[in-house]
Amino acid sequence: MNPALPLPQQPLRQNLSKSPKTLGLKLYTALISTHKPYFRSSWATLANCCLQRWVCSSVLLSPPSLVDNQGELSSKQTWRASIDFKWIRENKDAVAANIRNRKSAGDVELVVELYEQSVNLSQDIDKLRSERNAVASAMKGKLDLAFREELIEQGKQLKEQVAELEGKLAVLSERLQQEGQRIPNMTHPSVPIGSEDVASLRKEVGSQREFNFPVKDHVELGLALDLFDFEAASEVSGTKFYYLKNEAVLLELALINWTLSQLLLKGFVPLSTPDLVRSTVIEKCGFQPRGQNTQVYSVEGTDLCLAGTAEVPVGGMYMDSMLPEASLPLKLVAFSHCFRTEAGAAGAATRGLYRVHQFSKLEMFVITQPEDSDTLHEELISIEEELYCSLGLHYKTLDMSSEDLGAPAYRKFDIEAWMPGLCRYGEISSASNCTDYQSRRLNIRYRPATPAATGTHQSPKSRKAKTTLPPLQFVHTLNATACAVPRMIIAILENNQQEDGSVVIPDVLRPFMGGLELIKQKSR
Amino acid sequence: MVKPVPIPTLWARARPFHNVSSRVADSDCCKRIPHSTHYKSQGEEDDKEVSFSKPTTWRASIDFKWIRENKEAVAANIRNRNSTGDVEQVVRLYEQSVSLSQEIDKLRAERNAVASAMKGKLDLARREELIEQGKQLKEQVAELEGKLAVLSERLQQEGQRIPNMTHPSVPIGSEAVASIRKEVGRQQEFPFPVKDHVELGLALDLFDFEAASEVSGTKFYYLKNEAVLLELALINWTLSQLLSKGFVPLSTPDLVRSTVVEKCGFQPRGQNTQVYSVEGTDLCLAGTAEIPVGGMYMDSMLPEASLPLKLVAFSHCFRTEAGAAGAATRGLYRVHQFSKLEMFVISRPEDSDILHEELISIEEELYSSLGLHYKTLDMSSEDLGAPAYRKFDIEAWMPGLCRYGEISSASNCTDYQSRRLNIRYRPATPAVAAAQQPPKSKKVKTTLPPLQFVHTLNATACAVPRMIIAILENNQQEGGSVVIPDVLRPFMGGLGLIKPKSR
Repeated sequence: MNPALPLPQQPLRQNLSKSPKTLGLKLYTALISTHKPYFRSSWATLANCCLQRWVCSSVLLSPPSLVDNQGELSSKQTWRASIDFKWIRENKDAVAANIRNRKSAGDVELVVELYEQSVNLSQDIDKLRSERNAVASAMKGKLDLAFREELIEQGKQLKEQVAELEGKLAVLSERLQQEGQRIPNMTHPSVPIGSEDVASLRKEVGSQREFNFPVKDHVELGLALDLFDFEAASEVSGTKFYYLKNEAVLLELALINWTLSQLLLKGFVPLSTPDLVRSTVIEKCGFQPRGQNTQVYSVEGTDLCLAGTAEVPVGGMYMDSMLPEASLPLKLVAFSHCFRTEAGAAGAATRGLYRVHQFSKLEMFVITQPEDSDTLHEELISIEEELYCSLGLHYKTLDMSSEDLGAPAYRKFDIEAWMPGLCRYGEISSASNCTDYQSRRLNIRYRPATPAATGTHQSPKSRKAKTTLPPLQFVHTLNATACAVPRMIIAILENNQQEDGSVVIPDVLRPFMGGLELIKQKSR
Repeated sequence: MVKPVPIPTLWARARPFHNVSSRVADSDCCKRIPHSTHYKSQGEEDDKEVSFSKPTTWRASIDFKWIRENKEAVAANIRNRNSTGDVEQVVRLYEQSVSLSQEIDKLRAERNAVASAMKGKLDLARREELIEQGKQLKEQVAELEGKLAVLSERLQQEGQRIPNMTHPSVPIGSEAVASIRKEVGRQQEFPFPVKDHVELGLALDLFDFEAASEVSGTKFYYLKNEAVLLELALINWTLSQLLSKGFVPLSTPDLVRSTVVEKCGFQPRGQNTQVYSVEGTDLCLAGTAEIPVGGMYMDSMLPEASLPLKLVAFSHCFRTEAGAAGAATRGLYRVHQFSKLEMFVISRPEDSDILHEELISIEEELYSSLGLHYKTLDMSSEDLGAPAYRKFDIEAWMPGLCRYGEISSASNCTDYQSRRLNIRYRPATPAVAAAQQPPKSKKVKTTLPPLQFVHTLNATACAVPRMIIAILENNQQEGGSVVIPDVLRPFMGGLGLIKPKSR
C-alpha cells in the first residue's frame, strides 16, 4: 500500500481557514488536496521506473573500477594531457585549418616542431643508451687495465651525455605539453564554419506568443510578485547576486524535482556533487581557473575553485579510471550550485536573473565509446528539447558555429528560448560533445571487450593473455544542461505572464508545487 | 499556562517584563504579514537617518553605557562563557571617550562664544585676539577629535569582543553540564551486527568519498542514486512542513561579503577560521544561510506589525573545519559542504524566548516525524558562541557511530546580531497618544517611540548529511537495506526501501 501522506494536523487546518492569505498555508492546502493522486502517479511511476533502471544498470553504478596499477591515482602537482602528437603531425594541415576555423589559439607548427625535436632527442638518447650498454657489456670480460680505464671513461662520458639530453628532453616535453594543450578539439564536419551569425537552425518549436497587453520582463513581474530581492543581494553579496523568495523558491525546487524525475525515467544516475574542486580538475576539463578574465572563483590559501558547472566534478569523478566496456554509455545527472565570476560580461545582457554569479543547475554528463558519441549527442539534445517542450516554451535549437565552440567541444547544440520581456531569444541550455578532449586530460579510458573467439584460443598464460588484450582507449565525454534554474524562471515568468501580472505555472510542474497553478500578487 | 519568561538580555533591560503568555494565546499575532510590505522600501522612507552606504569598516551599536552600569554582570558572564572580552578595558576606553567628548564639547562651546563675541563692533586688537583664540580652539578641537577617533576605534574593537549575555536558565560550565530538556524514543536494539552509514552507503552505492578526495579533497563527498533522492526528499518534505507553519521560503546566495559574516558574529579571517574566502574579492562562502538571511535585512527598519518574521532558507553551506582533525570525521559527519534548510526569525525582544521555544518544538516535531531517537539539550555557557544568548542542540542517536550526534541547533541571539546588522523596528505608536497629538509634523515625529533593535533567532530545519547518517544507521535492516521514513516516501515516489543493487 501507499505510505501515509503527511496530512495536516488539526490546528493547522484551523489556521488554514483563518489566514488564507498566507502563501505557505495556501500551498500546503494545495499540496494536500492534490498531491495524493499527482504524487502517486508522477512520483510512484517514476520511482518504479528508476528503480528498475537501477537494477538493470547496476553494473554502471558500481564504483568506477580504478585501475590503480595503470592509472596514477595520486594527484600530481603538474599533470599531463595524453595528447596524440603523432596524429597531430600526420594531420598538421587539418589541425591548422581547424584552429583557423575556430579562431582559436594554438600553434600547430610549433607543436609539430617541438614534437619532432623531442622525438629526435629521444632517439639520440636511445642511441647513447645502447652505446653505453655496449660499453658495459665490453667490460664484462677480462681486460687489460688501460683498456678498462678507457671503457670506464667512455661509459662516464656517455652517462653524462645521456643525463644532459634527458634534461633537455624534460624541458622540451614540458613546452610541448604546454603548446599541445592550447590546441582545441577537432570540429564535427557538419558544424557551420564562421562566427556566431552562421550558426544553423536545427529545429524551431512553437512561436512567439502574442500578448494583447503590454509585456513585462521577469524583473518587473518578479518584483511585483515578491519573488526576488536583488537590492538586498547587492548589499550582502554584490551585483548579479539575488535572493529567490516565496513561490520562486518552490518553482526552483519544482524545476529540479520534475527535471530529475524525467531523467531518472531515461535511466540517468543522479548525483549530488561537490561545488568546490581542485584547480587541476578544472584545467583537465578544459577550463582556465586562473588569469585575468577567468570565469572561475578561487578559494584563498587552497587549490580549490568553485565549479562553474557540475561537468567538472562529474568528469573528475571518473578521473584516472578505466571503465568496463559493458558499463558504457554512463549517463549521469548532477545537481550543483554553479559559480561564475562573469568577468568581462559588463554591459552584456545583465538585467535580472539572466547573467548571475550563482545558480542551481541539473547537468547531464555522458561517458561513452567513441563510436557512440554522435548518437548520444543527438539523444541529449532530444532530451533537452523534450523537457523544454513539456514546459511549453518556444525555442530554437542551434548547431553552433566553429568560432563559438570552446576548446573542448567537437560540436555544440544550444537551445535559445523566447523571452518576450527581454524581447529576444536567450540561451537556456547547451549540449556539447567533447569527444576525447577531456578524457585525454582526465585520463578516463575503457578496454574494448576482447572478442570471444580469440579469448578461447588464447593460451592461459597470463602474460600472453595480457599482451593480446585490445589496447585501452580514451572514452568520449558529453555534457548538456538539463535545467539551469534562473534562465528557466525567466522563460516561464515572461512567457506565462497574464495581464494582471500573475504567472501561470506550467502543467508539468504543478504536481511538484502542491498543485499551485498561478503565482498571484500577494494581498498587502 | 506558560509562565511569563523574564527577558533580562543585555539590551532589552529597559522594557518591563511582558506577559508573554497572553501573546501566545493571541493567534493573530502570529499571522504572517505579506512579506513585501515591510521590507526596505518602507524602512528607507521612514528612516532617513540610517546610512545605506556601505562603510569600509562597520560599527556595532554596542550599548557601552549599559556595559558600564552592569560591569560586574558582564565580567561574570564572560567568565561563565570562558570568553575573551575585557570589560575593564571596555569601560576604561568608554569613560575616556566620554570625557574626551565632553572636553571637545566644552571647547566647541568656547569657540562658539568666541565666534559670538566677534559679531559686534570691536577694536582691531581685540578682534585679532579673538581670531587667535578661535584658531587655537579650532586646533585643540581638531587634535582631540583625532584622539577620539582612535579611541572610538579601539573601544569598538574591544566592545565587539564582548559576547552576548546569557539566559538565566543556561547551565554554567563546560559542555558536560548541558542539561537535557527532552528525550524522545530510545536506542533501538538490533538483533544483528550494526553497520555505520559509511559501510551501509558504500554497499548501497550511495556515496563516493574516494573520488571526492581526488577531485576536491578529504571531507568532500558525492551523493549517488537514492541518496540524491533522499537529499531532495528531506528538503522538499521539511520545506512543506515549514510552509504549513507560515515560514517564508528563500533561496539565498552562498557567497557573501566578509563584513556580513562578521556582523553575524563569525570570524571570516584568522588561522582557525571556519570560513572559506574567495581570492581577489571580499566574498566568503557562507557556513550557514543564517548569514545571507540576516544580511537581507541589514540596515532596515521593520514595522512592528510585520514581526515576527519567520523565514526558511535553502543553501549550500561551506566550512573549512579547521582544527577539526581527529574529531569524529568518518563519512558524512563532518564535511566541507552540505545542503541545509535553516530557519531564521526576526522578532520583538519580548517575544524571542517564546519563539526560541517554538523553534525547538518545530525541530523536535520534524525529527520525531522522521522516527529518530534524540535528546534536546540546553547547551552550557561555555558552549555558546558569542552571539547566542541561549542555544538548544538536538542530538540524535547514531547506532553505527555508536553515539549521539548533533543534528540541529537553535539559538536565540537576542540583539547581538541586530546591533551589528542594524536591524530595527519602531514599536507602534499608541493610538491614543497619536490622536491627542497636535498635527504639526515636527511634534509628531519627536513623540514616535524610539527605534529598537530586533531580536534574531536561527535554527537548523534540516542539515542533510547528518539526517542521512541518522536515517541510514537507525533504519538499517539485516541485509544492509534501509527503510525510508514514512513521511519522506511521497517525496521519493513512494520508495519504501533502499536495497543493494544486483550486480
